Amino acid sequence: MKVIENIKTIPKVQKFRYAMIILTSMTLLGPLAFLPQLVGSDDLCGSLCMRRFYLYFPGMTWEDFFVHVNAASIGVMAFSLIMITTLFFGRIWCGYLCPVGGLAELSSRMLNDRWKIEFRSLPQIQIRYGYFGFFLVAMPALGISACSLCNFITIPRLIEAMSGEYRGMMFLVSSVGLVNLGLLLLLGVFASKGRAYCQFMCPIGAADGLVNRLGAKMPFARRIRVAKERCTGCNICARNCMCGAIKMVDRIATVDQVSCMSCHECVDVCDWNALAWTTKPNHKVNEPKRIKKNTEIFPLPDWQAVHFNPVKADAVESAVKTGPAISVLSVFNAMIFLTVISIIIVGSFL
Amino acid sequence: MLRFLFLIVLLVLGHEQVSANPRYSDPDGCLSCHAYEGLSFIDEQGVLRSATIDSSHYASSLHGSVPCKDCHREVINYPHKVENTEVDCSESCHVEEPSEGVKYTHDPIHKEMDKSVHSGGWYKGLTGGNRLEEIETEQDPSCRRCHSNTLYIPEAQLEKFKEDFDHAETECGNCHQGKAWMGQFGGHILRRLIGRRWNNQENNQMCIDCHGDHEKMRDVKQEDPETLEEHPPSDRFVYSTDTYAKTLHGRLIADDSAYGASCIDCHAPLAWKHDIRSYTDSESASHPDNLPETCGQSDCHGYTKKPGNEGFTLTDMHNLTLVNLADFKQPLEEESLRGSAWFWSIWPLLLFGVIFIVGSFIWWLLYRNTKKIIPIVGGDRFERVMVGRKGKAGRKKAVVKKPAVKRDAKPKSEVKETKAAVKPDSSEPIVEKDKPVMPDKAETDISKVDNDTNNKGA
Ligand code: SF4
Ligand code: SF4
Ligand code: SF4
Repeated sequence: MKVIENIKTIPKVQKFRYAMIILTSMTLLGPLAFLPQLVGSDDLCGSLCMRRFYLYFPGMTWEDFFVHVNAASIGVMAFSLIMITTLFFGRIWCGYLCPVGGLAELSSRMLNDRWKIEFRSLPQIQIRYGYFGFFLVAMPALGISACSLCNFITIPRLIEAMSGEYRGMMFLVSSVGLVNLGLLLLLGVFASKGRAYCQFMCPIGAADGLVNRLGAKMPFARRIRVAKERCTGCNICARNCMCGAIKMVDRIATVDQVSCMSCHECVDVCDWNALAWTTKPNHKVNEPKRIKKNTEIFPLPDWQAVHFNPVKADAVESAVKTGPAISVLSVFNAMIFLTVISIIIVGSFL
Repeated sequence: MLRFLFLIVLLVLGHEQVSANPRYSDPDGCLSCHAYEGLSFIDEQGVLRSATIDSSHYASSLHGSVPCKDCHREVINYPHKVENTEVDCSESCHVEEPSEGVKYTHDPIHKEMDKSVHSGGWYKGLTGGNRLEEIETEQDPSCRRCHSNTLYIPEAQLEKFKEDFDHAETECGNCHQGKAWMGQFGGHILRRLIGRRWNNQENNQMCIDCHGDHEKMRDVKQEDPETLEEHPPSDRFVYSTDTYAKTLHGRLIADDSAYGASCIDCHAPLAWKHDIRSYTDSESASHPDNLPETCGQSDCHGYTKKPGNEGFTLTDMHNLTLVNLADFKQPLEEESLRGSAWFWSIWPLLLFGVIFIVGSFIWWLLYRNTKKIIPIVGGDRFERVMVGRKGKAGRKKAVVKKPAVKRDAKPKSEVKETKAAVKPDSSEPIVEKDKPVMPDKAETDISKVDNDTNNKGA
């Protein structure tokens, strides 16, 4: 009974979102894998692979690139589609459709929060793009099959293993299976809100995030936007954001457009209408609704997608307190650091 | 012009002459016996085999104009021995390659095959060989094992073939006049044009027919190319087709994409595609030293030959861990169990499990009355970094104070909203006065807000 009540309290949009994820999980993943089978594949790999064609191999020519693109033509089309929708509507593939991130999220949401690992406060942009760089350049050159760390094959594989005969479960204890299980459990089920894989390791998410950020300043782009003057700093949104995209900067919610998935949860939980999934408003910044007797009355909400940290002396101080702001240098450092670490790890295996 | 015309006439006439040759009417008299119905013998394996040749079938076949002895060269006397009937395709053939004028021969293929892992297969009676016996007892495939002619025209192509055959008279017949030519070669060439070669999927299926049979592959004896010692096959070998199917190469071909690499593409990329060798053989295409060349074949991974890509060829194309382990017998046996990755990984997992269970109990003892649940790993940091609260101490206070804070949060924020409305520069940070979590900062901010409002009012 309590469960039903709990379900009833889920905001409408979120109910819709969960339903969409369940639907895509059933159609895109095994054992049904209805949609992949339409194009002759039984999981999201092979010609459906969206995450291999942009790998860079030293000395690669454009022809090689086009061979890769052609080999995974359907995946490339899907990838472009995702990027285009992202440009206009935000990362709705990630938030509403992706069965890979979605499944981990849903299973994580069914668990009690106590035993979860809170990844959301880690410097996700540095880690994500550090790993992305490693994935694009170092992995191909080192000859590591990026596929064993790829959730788009991990999740279908695990589901395949568990949906067949009981002996199929043996896959879970092979070395690749253990790595896959580790990815799903540590970065999925036991991660707070279950989106740690998306935050740190998903190359599609990384590319998608860049597009999301690029489009954020365009007037036609729907994004999660904050009206600063409405925000009370109650931080419910930051606590609920599954991607750790909301950070309280000077006690005002700011949305990190590189990480936000437009899942709409923050909008649902904000009691002050300080957040909305919307396009840029027509009026000017801080334009009042009316001016009466020389007094400006209540400004129209100024829906901003991107907030820049004020460049002031106290900004530095606040940066010290609330963690470092993102800088090119720190991303670069993270890339080098991760590459070195990974080479050591890989080297010890070989 | 005249000379040209003359040439054409000569060509046509010449052609006519050749193609109009009558079919050989069995000059060696083989059919005097072999035409008998029910002519049969029992071979070494005890299988009853027919030796009857239907002369009308033979005459209308592709080889209808070729006398028996052109191929069965060892048959000299009557009666002949069964062994002497074997055909050696590595000798020159009756067909003359028109552009070169050289008699056709399979000799280059023979030489290649001889060096390959399948070399033993060449010597099995090439045409007369009994495929039954070959499947049961020997590991090396004969030519016919792969080049089986059972479906001369694949069923799927039959309709197209019929259709084109009806047009052959007008299209091929423009130049190649004469019934004899059309009858003998028309169909053959047409079939070659339509059927062409196998596609990659069929190519792979040919290999999988044998190599996909685990039982059979377990019985194969592999030979070390250096020491020539025989040893039982490795799991890599036995499950090679399954591991291949899990790779992108295998998946692409299974999806009927032109971009996958088939078995032959990597194992015998050169020349006549028969030179399949063990990867331990230094001349094999799959030997680690030759992989850059093999992977970098035309329009595959051309960059493998360039510096910086040495690691690329390390990618395991027959990775056993990807196979569904349900097919393995080994992991369940004690010896391989101790050597396996999962056996060892159970220990750390067990350790974590114990910590998990004990920790859960302790947690329950200490915190069972706490309402607010915060993840044990990183929860604190989250409060600090994302929410901007203080660490542990601050959190405990916050938990206690929570209801009070919530109650008066509403009116306060309304007040603030009006403030914000009057304030021109909304990018100025706003901080609630009654939550001085970061005391110095809050103070400076508040003073600024006040200043701004004052300015505005003035
Ligand atoms: S980040 Fe990757 S795994 Fe996560 S939802 Fe997006 S596409 Fe799916
Ligand atoms: S929930 Fe709304 S009012 Fe509260 S911090 Fe987030 S945006 Fe501001
Ligand atoms: S900021 Fe809002 S919409 Fe974006 S991921 Fe977080 S909760 Fe979802």
